[in-house]
Order: sequence, then structure tokens, then C-alpha cells
Amino acid sequence: MTNPSAQIIGQRVPKMDASAKATGKATYGHDVRLPGMLHGRILYSRYPHAKIVNIDISRAKNLRGVKCVLTSADNPSHLFGYGKDNRPFKAIARSLRDEIAGVVAIDPDIAEEALELITVEYEPLPAIFSPKGALAEGAPLIHPERKSQSNMFHSYRYAHGELEQGERESDVVIEASYTVPYVTHACMETSVVVAQFDLRDHLTLWSTTQIPFLLQRDLSEALGISGSQIRIIQTAVGGAFGRGLDIYPYEPIAALMARKVGQPVRLAFSRHEEFTAGPARQPVEVKVRAGAKSDGTLTFRDVFCMLDVGAYISWGSVTPLVMMETTASLYQVPHVRFQADCVYTNNLITGAMRGYGNPQSTFFVETIMDRLAEALRMDPVEFRVHNANVPNSETPQGLIITSCGMKECLEAVAANADEGAKHNASAPVSNTARSVAVNRPLTAKDSPHLKRGIGFAATLNVGGGARIYRSDGCGATVKVDDFGHVTLITGSTEIGQGSETVLAQIVAQTLGAKMEDVTVLNSDTDIKPWDVGVHASRTTFIAGNAAYLAALDARSQIFETAAELLKAKPEELLSNNGSVTVKDDPKRSVTIAQAARSRHFKEGGKVILGEGWYDPPTKLVDKDTYKGNISAAYGFGAQMAEVVVDTETGKVRVLRLVCANDVGFAINPMAVEGQIEGGAQMGLGYALTEELLVKNGKILNPDLLDYRLFTSADMPEIKSIIVETDDPKGPFGAKGVGEMGGTPTAAAIANAIYDAVGVRMTQLPMTPERVLAAIMEKEKTE
Amino acid sequence: MRPFNHFSPTTLSEALSLLAEHNGKAAMIAGGTDLLLKMKAGLRKSDVVVNIKRLSDLRCLTFDAANGLKLGALTTLRELTRSPIIFEHYPALAHTAHIMASEQIRSLATVGGNLCNAAPSADLAPPLIALDALVSLIGPAGERQLPLADFFTGPGKSVLQPGELLKEITLPPPVGQTIYLKHSPRAYMDIAVVGVAVRILLEGDVCREARVVLGAVAPVPLCAHQSEEILAGQTLTDKRILQAAKTAAQECSPIDDVRGAAWYRRRMVEVLLKRGIKSIQ
Ligand SMILES: Cc1cc2nc3c(=O)[nH]c(=O)nc-3n(C[C@H](O)[C@H](O)[C@H](O)COP(=O)(O)OP(=O)(O)OC[C@H]3O[C@@H](n4cnc5c(N)ncnc54)[C@H](O)[C@@H]3O)c2cc1C
Repeated sequence: MTNPSAQIIGQRVPKMDASAKATGKATYGHDVRLPGMLHGRILYSRYPHAKIVNIDISRAKNLRGVKCVLTSADNPSHLFGYGKDNRPFKAIARSLRDEIAGVVAIDPDIAEEALELITVEYEPLPAIFSPKGALAEGAPLIHPERKSQSNMFHSYRYAHGELEQGERESDVVIEASYTVPYVTHACMETSVVVAQFDLRDHLTLWSTTQIPFLLQRDLSEALGISGSQIRIIQTAVGGAFGRGLDIYPYEPIAALMARKVGQPVRLAFSRHEEFTAGPARQPVEVKVRAGAKSDGTLTFRDVFCMLDVGAYISWGSVTPLVMMETTASLYQVPHVRFQADCVYTNNLITGAMRGYGNPQSTFFVETIMDRLAEALRMDPVEFRVHNANVPNSETPQGLIITSCGMKECLEAVAANADEGAKHNASAPVSNTARSVAVNRPLTAKDSPHLKRGIGFAATLNVGGGARIYRSDGCGATVKVDDFGHVTLITGSTEIGQGSETVLAQIVAQTLGAKMEDVTVLNSDTDIKPWDVGVHASRTTFIAGNAAYLAALDARSQIFETAAELLKAKPEELLSNNGSVTVKDDPKRSVTIAQAARSRHFKEGGKVILGEGWYDPPTKLVDKDTYKGNISAAYGFGAQMAEVVVDTETGKVRVLRLVCANDVGFAINPMAVEGQIEGGAQMGLGYALTEELLVKNGKILNPDLLDYRLFTSADMPEIKSIIVETDDPKGPFGAKGVGEMGGTPTAAAIANAIYDAVGVRMTQLPMTPERVLAAIMEKEKTE
Repeated sequence: MRPFNHFSPTTLSEALSLLAEHNGKAAMIAGGTDLLLKMKAGLRKSDVVVNIKRLSDLRCLTFDAANGLKLGALTTLRELTRSPIIFEHYPALAHTAHIMASEQIRSLATVGGNLCNAAPSADLAPPLIALDALVSLIGPAGERQLPLADFFTGPGKSVLQPGELLKEITLPPPVGQTIYLKHSPRAYMDIAVVGVAVRILLEGDVCREARVVLGAVAPVPLCAHQSEEILAGQTLTDKRILQAAKTAAQECSPIDDVRGAAWYRRRMVEVLLKRGIKSIQ
């Protein structure tokens, strides 16, 4: 695939939007201002489960500056959402985040004031806040209209091999229970939308969505208008991480508001609202049993998960597909049983979040791996390598693994483990006041209560798209114009991950154009071709292949014309750095610009317009067995964490995180490192500090003070190792890496904590309090 | 946020009469890093906000060996971290300010705001009390001075009367060594789960004077007098230190909340106090 002379792919090219973002020049959703724009605010339910008996909006309507007040009476008749269980405004509230009314006013403060003037009479209904409670006999139904007459939304059941045989063959068996919490994306930019109807009754929506084309369809359903009446314009996105993968009620609400007032309406979440009304990563209760033979070969895994999906169905309810993949296919396991029950409760809704089930499942799978290695008295890395996935294999689940650098990743991080000992002798391990008092950094020698440990974990993630919908496709066009300017119009979406830059590199490389001549358009459904959306680490692979095909098409058009101009055959040409040259006679050359112009300035001329559509050769998983090859490539990774545990406070400090990832080929190594480090930051928060505390359906810490993101000051040294395996189907051999960075982190840290102090942490986050409690428990039993 | 009237008096008397005029209903704003958060969240509603940042009477940072330190209420946390005077004579205060919030917040946040906000977790309260700070309050009834230890009356509550403001803090010349240890999950940007200040005057091995003040484990910053008594006049053996630490853990009355469980807070009082004393030794 490579064009031998050009040097654009594989380079550390800075992100195309970096300077605009660093200087505040980028236009984010919150920056959108339209003439005559009004502001909407939403009133949420006071009770987690209640009937609205009466609602009086008259006082709010009469407040000066208020344009309209909407309630469930203004709902279109259609249900929307993945579970078809949602409406813009609710007549029955099923959670505290339920929208009861909305106000449009000339400014957000007046709208807010008007909310206080709405009087709602509720009839509270019995509410349920745990999946177990929701499944109990006689539990009140959260959606009584559902045919199943049960709060169980779906029970996923998967199996391969014969579990009993696996158990029989096991020399060691480990059993454990795990709890992982609600966490949330905590995007720097809170959710925001601006909606405007024109006189044709066409809706334009400025949005931070990750799925512009699916949102178009979802909105058309919710509003009862045709998708062709809806145009989505994507602004610069201040963080997405899966938040933007679904339609949420505020979007149709903004549209309803804009339609009612006949003016553009902006609806922007406060930080508090972002926590309380946004989606969260679903909490899971897990029971795991797993076994291995004395030679270190895995025998079976048996996993039961209970998921709280909240009051309405969003993508959180589909994450078992990924948990199942980790359970069945991370390492070679001959016998597997997996069950995940997704249950409605009156809690907050759960959605997609970076890793999509994988951080949860990798936490339990990889800590169990550590326990098995220990039980077998095997080195944890050797044990993992022994069972690792291998290239050109098919897992019992039907994943077709082509390129695979799992072993290389494990070995690469293990090679870095020894450095820790050196580190330990001199590095500061505590920043307490004592180091101020003695005016030198503390070392482990000063502090017998500080214990060091290292831990490992690996990960498997889809890296060649993921067929969740019938199509996993993406379209692209490449236009070349006067001056040799190249415009890539891609269906894919930029959410800060750097896809624009990588796609431009692919196009520049393929065309032989200069990087600075490439512009990427990717933000308007009226302009760009269709794409499923940005999820599942798919953009470089899928949109990259589409862009590559479009660029090839454009190149052949350029070569056709250049061949005429140079009196050569197209096969004799090559392009590089903006010029097309005859291979064997480099003096014969025209610029791409000249070739393009000559097509415009002749009779019967043509534009240079390349087109590409890529839909990977994968299958939807079978709807009963969940087997099938969901992705055209799989990414692998491993991490080694080095920690220091304070045995008196339970505080865990991560000194180093070494991350190796098999990305096939790094089209832009700097962007890969950015993904790994950014993922690690989220993984560290998931492991140690982040948790939405939810009691009776209410979030107790809906602010950035007590929802503790991992800050720059907490970050350890991160070493990123890029492993390249040249994927046969990836563009230039590349595979996705967007989600892997944070997936194995919690397990690696948990395993390091065990190495340091001998306690097995089974609940996230591993807060000082939980670690200390575990240490005290261990001391008691000793 | 709701609209409000904003006044920016330039003299103390102007400020006091403005405050009096509004019957003590006006909110005073210094750095605003506590106040504005509360106003935005609707936890505090005020139609009038009086900016006190222009009052030069509330600004000073002077030290002399005989009288000690005078610290104006408007001193920012950043100034505490940068002042050579503080660094030389009261390094524990510089250290405390340094581990609070972030550089951006520290350059807005004031000492007066931290104290008057009266959070049980206010980081500056324990070390200042341990250093025997006095506070000068000025209001319609004139000026009065009292120990900072007597200033707090409950979460968010102090002896400040309507229309009264905190002018300055006075510290006697430093005696012994002081240290403040804060327990929080992250390196910065966290409110203390537990804060422990300890000041010890050693004569050889013997502790001549001891102050132990605990933050975030009682409705107000708490002076652990029983623990102090165990230390005062005694040789600081490991056993005695542990006894003092355990006693302090029993003296406090922490609650379970989103930042920590009561049992854990007690335990941290014990650990931090032990570490604090040992590091002074
Ligand atoms: C991100 C963040 C991190 C933080 N981290 C910490 C931390 O680590 N530790 C900590 O203790 N605090 C922390 N805080 C809280 C806050 O920054 C401090 O309490 C700060 O010192 C408050 O000072 P201020 O000048 O901003 O107070 P303001 O918000 O201006 O005032 C606070 C209260 O005191 C009153 N007031 C202020 N000055 C006077 C005066 N002279 N006389 C009478 N009343 C007065 C005001 O009316 C108001 O009620 C943090 C806050 C934020 C936003």
C-alpha cells in the first residue's frame, strides 16, 4: 500500500486543530450564537418515581422574558431511544433526571427563575434502586407498558465449550465477587445543543454528538418528521468519550422549543446537570469462577454480571456484548459461560463510555488471572504469555484474530518492570509535610509504612470497527482543485481524538500531496457522506480505509490527466510532495494543481472527485449465540503499574505506568501516545478516585470537587510503547487504539497493590479507605 | 445566578455603613471562591454583594520579633506561599497554603474567606489555632479581638455578628515547631478528609508545650485538649505519642459523608498526629 517516496504516514504530525484549541479560537457548542437565539432550561423531577398529578405553569409563563413553557402535553406521540421507552417530557417520572417541563426565555437566568415558578403536584410511587430489588417478587414495574411485565430488560447468555469439562480439568479454581461503580465522562464541555427551524420546517441542530447520522434518524423518530428535514452541524467537541453515542431527551426538547417559539433555542447543561442528567458508565456486580491446569493452561471462566441500566434504556444495556468478548476471548479459554442481566431501576441512565464494558470486564478477568498465576506459583507474565491470543487464530467465540501483538506487548511491559527497583531506591515516595520538614524527598527507607509493588494486565479490544448496526460503514470523498488543494470530506467525526489529522495524513500520503494542502470537512450532515459514528475505536481503521479508497480514486483521475500531459502511461507515474512524475524519467513532471486545472480548462472537462466507501468484512453477532466476527481487526495491549501503598492510610500512589499497545501501524505516533496517555488518565481515575455516589437514585457528589478526576498532579510517569504488527486490512497496516489506553489500568493497579501489601481489591475505585479496610481485614485474619 | 447589586467600597467606614444599611443581609465577597459557588448553586441567595477587596485596612503582612505577625484578612493563599516572612517564621502556614486548591484558586482565595466561610475542613484553621492566632473583628459595635479557637460555632457559623467583618489575624512570635498534615485522596484540589495541626516545643526530649488541632472531624476545627495534656511536660516516647494520637482520635466526633467514613477519619487523626509529632521530633 505504501508509496515509497512520501513520508507523511508514520510521522509525528501535530493535530490540525491543536493551535485553534490551545488558543481558544475553536468554536465549541457553547460558543454558538445565532441571531435571535433564546435559551432553554429544563425542570427535573423531584421524586425518583412519581405520577405527575397536576402541573401549573401559569406563573412561569407570565414571568417577563419567558417565551414559552412546555410539558408532557407538548410531546409528539412517538417513543424514542434504543429501548423505545423514552419521551421528551414525562407524565410519570421514573428517575430524578426525568424531564418534567421546559422553559424558553430571553436569557438562561430568567429561564432558571421561571423553573422555580412551576408548581408540580406529584404522587410518589414506590421506587427501586438496585437490580436485585427490581427483580424481586412483587417489585413495582418501572415500565408497566412493557410486554414482558418484568424489570429485566434483557439477559445475555453466552457459552462455548463444556463448563463441567473445564472444571474437571482444573487443578486450581478461583472464585471472587467484584463491584464496579458508576463513573461518568465528566467532559470539559457540558452537553449543549442549539436548535433552529426554518420556514420549510427543516431543523438544523448544532450538536456535540458522536453519531450525526443516527441522531438524524433518532430525532426524526422522536419528533415525527422526516430525517431529510434534519441537518446536524457538529461543533468542535469539548470531550465526548461515548457520551454522544445516543439521543437524549434534551435534544428533541430543544427542537420542540425552537419549533414552538419560531426562533433558535440553545440548551446548555450546567455542570450539576451534566452529572445528574447525563449518562453514566453502568455499575456492575460480578461473580467469577475461573480455573487452570497445573501447567498453566486456562480451563474455564464462568461469569455472572448484574447491571443496573437505570430508568431508560441507552447504550449501557448493550455493554455486556463487550464484557462477554473479554470474558470469552481475552486469552485462550476453552470453556466459558457468561450471563449478564440488565435490569431497570429508578436510577440514572447508563450509556456508552470509552471502553464500553471493557474496563469493567478487564478488571475482573485480569485480577483473576493474577490470582490463578499465584495459585499456580507461576510468574504472572509467563502465565499470561502462555495463554495469550495468537496471530491468525479464531477464538471459540468466532473472533478472527489476524495481526496480534499480545505477547510482544506483555513482554515489552515486563522488560520495564526491573527499572522499578532502581527507581525505588532514590525516588520520592511521599509528598507529606515531612519532606518539607526534613527538606529532602522521602525514600522508602525513611518510611517503613510505604510498600512498593508492581502489577500487570493485558487487554483485547476491537480495532477494526465493530458491527453493532447492520452497516459498519463510512463514506469519503476527496476533491482536488486549483492550486492542488485537497479536500477530504469524511463521514467520520472529530471528537478531539485527532482523526482529522490521521485521515489527512492517509490522503496526503496516498495522493502524493503535501500535508498542508489537505483540508478535512467532517461536520455537516448536509455535506458529508454517511457514517455510523465515532465509537469502538473505529475511525482510523474504517474512515481511514474509506479515505484511502477515495484518495486512490482521486489519484487515478490525476494520473489519467497527468499521463496525457506527460505523454506517459498512468502506470508509469508516481506522485509525491504535490507533483506527479514519470518514474524512470523524473525530469518529466507536472504538479497535481496543473493536472487538476487542465481538466477544468478543456472541453468536456471534469472535476477530480474521488469516492470511497468502506464497510469491513465482518458480521453481526448471532442474536442467540452472540458468536461471530464483529471486527475486522483486534487491538491488544498490556500495562505494568508500579505503586506505593501507604499501609497506614491506605493511599495508593502510582509511580509509573508502562503501556504497550499493538496498533498495527502508527500512522501518527504522537496521536497514538495521546490516546494511550489520555486513556490511562481515565483508567487511573476509574481505578483510584472516580465514583458517582448514588443513594436512593440521587447523586451525592454532582460536582468536580467531590467527583474526583485524576489531575495532572496525580499522574504518574507514563511510558508508551508502540507495538507494530502490520494489520493486513488496516489502512497502511493500522488498527484502532482509542479505547485501550484505560482498559487494563485498574487491574494492573489492583495487582500491584496485591504485590505491595497482599490484599486483593475487588471494588473500584480503590480509595484509601477501601484499601485500608482491606489491609486491616487481612491483619485481623493473620 | 440571580442578578444582584454590587458595591465596591474603598474605605472601612463606607463598607461598615453599607453592611449596616442592609441589615447584615449583604454578602461580603473577598476572593469569591467559596461565596460564588454557593450563590451559583442557589445555596446562598443575596440581592446585595459588597466587595471588600479594596479595603486597604484589611491588607497587611508584617512581622516583628517582639509582637509576631499581623496578617490582613485579604492576604491571599498565594501570598502565604510566596512571602519570605511566612516562609522564615511560620513555614507550616506556607506549606498549608501550598497544598490547598490550585495556583489559580490560591491567587484569588483569601485567608479571611477561608476562616469566615467556617467550613469544618478549612485548611488554615488548624495550623492558625495551633499557632495561637487571635482574630480582630470590626463592626457596628466597634472592634474586638478574640482567640481564633473561639471564633467558630458550627459548620458555616462563627461569632461574626451581622455587619461585622474580620479585619486581621495576629500571631505571637513562633514557639516550637508546627506542622499541618492533610489527608485527601488526590495531591491537590481536594477538601481535607482530615487535617491535623500540631505544634510542639521541645526541650531536649521533653515536650514543654503542645497544641493539637483537628480539622474536618467535628462541627468546628477542634482543639484536642486531652491529647495535648498527654504530651505536655512529658518525654516523647513512641508509646506516649501513640497514646496522644489514640486519644485525639477519640476526642473528635467525625461524621460519615461523601468524603470519608467516620471510622476512617478517626483512624487518620491517629495516623497523622503520630506522623506529625514524630516528624517534629
Ligand atoms: C477548586 C477549589 C478548591 C479549594 N480547595 C480548598 C482547600 O484545599 N482547602 C480549603 O480550606 N479550602 C479550599 N477551597 C475553598 C476556598 O477557596 C477557601 O476557603 C478560600 O480561602 C476562601 O476565600 P475567599 O476569599 O475566596 O472567600 P469568599 O468566597 O470571598 O468568602 C467566603 C465567605 O467568607 C465571608 N468573608 C470573606 N472575607 C471576609 C471577611 N474579611 N470578614 C467577614 N466575612 C468574610 C464571605 O462573605 C463568604 O461568606 C477551595 C475552593 C475551590 C473553588
